[in-house]
Amino acid sequence: MDGRSNYDETISRQYRELIEHCKSHLEEMDDTLPEPVEDFQTLLQERGISRRSFLKWTSATTAALMLSPLFRPMVAKAAEQFSRLPVVWLHFAECTGCSEALLRSSYPNVDSILLDTISLEYHETLMAAAGYQAEENLERALHDFAGKFICVIEGALPKGMGGKYLTIGPKGKTGLEIAKEVTSKSAAVICIGSCSSFGGVQAAKPNPTDAVSVGDALGITTVNLGGCPPNPANFTGTLLHFLLFGALPPLDSLGRPIWAYGKRIHDFCERRPHYDAGEFVEEWGDRGAKKEWCLYKMGCKGPYTFANCAKVRFNDGTSWPVMAGHGCMGCTEPGFWDTMAPYEKPIADKTIGGGEKTVDKIGAVLTGVTVAGIAAHAGLSAIRHREKDKE
Amino acid sequence: MEAIVPKKEWSAAMRINHWATAFAIVVLIVTGFYIAKPFTIGAGETVDKFFMGSVRFWHIFCGVLLFFLFIWRIYMAFFSRFHADWKDFFAWTDWKNFMKQIKFYLLISNEKPEHNYLYGPLQALAYMGLLFLLLLINLTGLILLGAGYDAGWTHLVYVALKPFETMMGGLAMVRWIHHILTWCFILFIVVHVYMAFWYDAVFKEGTISSMISGRVFRRGHNE
Repeated sequence: MDGRSNYDETISRQYRELIEHCKSHLEEMDDTLPEPVEDFQTLLQERGISRRSFLKWTSATTAALMLSPLFRPMVAKAAEQFSRLPVVWLHFAECTGCSEALLRSSYPNVDSILLDTISLEYHETLMAAAGYQAEENLERALHDFAGKFICVIEGALPKGMGGKYLTIGPKGKTGLEIAKEVTSKSAAVICIGSCSSFGGVQAAKPNPTDAVSVGDALGITTVNLGGCPPNPANFTGTLLHFLLFGALPPLDSLGRPIWAYGKRIHDFCERRPHYDAGEFVEEWGDRGAKKEWCLYKMGCKGPYTFANCAKVRFNDGTSWPVMAGHGCMGCTEPGFWDTMAPYEKPIADKTIGGGEKTVDKIGAVLTGVTVAGIAAHAGLSAIRHREKDKE
Repeated sequence: MEAIVPKKEWSAAMRINHWATAFAIVVLIVTGFYIAKPFTIGAGETVDKFFMGSVRFWHIFCGVLLFFLFIWRIYMAFFSRFHADWKDFFAWTDWKNFMKQIKFYLLISNEKPEHNYLYGPLQALAYMGLLFLLLLINLTGLILLGAGYDAGWTHLVYVALKPFETMMGGLAMVRWIHHILTWCFILFIVVHVYMAFWYDAVFKEGTISSMISGRVFRRGHNE
């Protein structure tokens, strides 16, 4: 009993300290951050988000960040300050799909409003400026907010030909040069999507441009929000954590925030009971598919993938790949284009050296050859060692 | 008087370890192939079924059993009171005998190689390979087991082995390597069983029964 109360005391003390730290940090941010352009609460009302919806969102986000409900007021406060955090958004070798996923939604929820009002000092897809004017904006942002802004990077960095596979802007700077310059002045670097986090599709075999992740190219520590595209909630959550505590969330060995990428898809999948029961979809559109059985045999890579898709879902919690009837492709994992193939067959059907040679086929042939060799050896041994028996 | 007498070759611990390992490996191969490519249990309600769950239970049970049997076997190789056989795993370093053994196996020569170690030169090499396979399959197996747990010793082991997972290229690759290793075990078993029968037939020392009784029959004096 004593040990238990000691434990409780320690925990509540730690919570008190964390809340104190959080409050003082939020006040400090209030003084130092640039003034907001629009008031967040008015903005929410204009977009048709009631106070009740906002509070519900606050609870969900606090829980998603693995914080106690005590932190809800602080999460709300951090959301109000969200639009004051200066962000420089860089695009490298990628498809802009992550920006699309974050900015487009069928109807606005709090996450997307946060992203709509984010203080983007520089964003190649969204900015009105072009050419030298755009370049000026970037330089001004780097000067005005040096050491304070968050650098968000979308896209891998090609290293081939000294980085010349990717040149951007009127001065023809390579991606490597821009990345080095901007990240050296930022408070933190957040890699959004599989390309900037782990190289993505352009780093898949044979990788002609020698594309690598931002972390590998520059040798810096980055927050890697894997996913193709990642869930907007994981991005807003990571920024909120930065606003709350002045520090980035704890990361796993691949640089992904543990609160979002700490558990496997498979373990929180709504179809998991069908996996344990032995009920599998055998082909697209069969009885099992209609009954929403497990997609393991249709190549679902949920058992090998760490992400919160099954819990948070996409498009305001509407759906996610498995719910839509297709297996997970493992897009939050490094090198998933190579390691997760074939995408619509289980890993057991992975081929060696292209073609049809699966491990099972090669293994069966080798076993057959071995058995044939044994039969021949047994026959020859019977002849060879027969004379000895007569002695 | 010299006669053909039983000589103790394998301790009871070694024999138990051998057959428990054999049992575990057979169960693991059968359940493992089901997990790799399961068939659907169509009849009945989902709530009444737990087939994949049970198969995975026995796979994990035998996997953990195999892990401890492996540790026990390594321990015996160094600290067995009957015969610590770690040196015998290096019988292949005797190159002259190694060549003799190959000639004997290929039926080129009828001259029996010397029996200086517990294992023959090729046997020692194969068993060393088996220990290496066991190490790898235990490593990949513990990673695959631990990935689904967030507490307990399984999780602690997983955290410790996480760098290996990253090195192999993620869980999918670990899973694939685990599958490739299964086939290495199947090939080993085929050759191992044949060679045991072959020795029994050619040497007539009772090789097969020695793993049950612990004794082989050799020319010599009674113990």
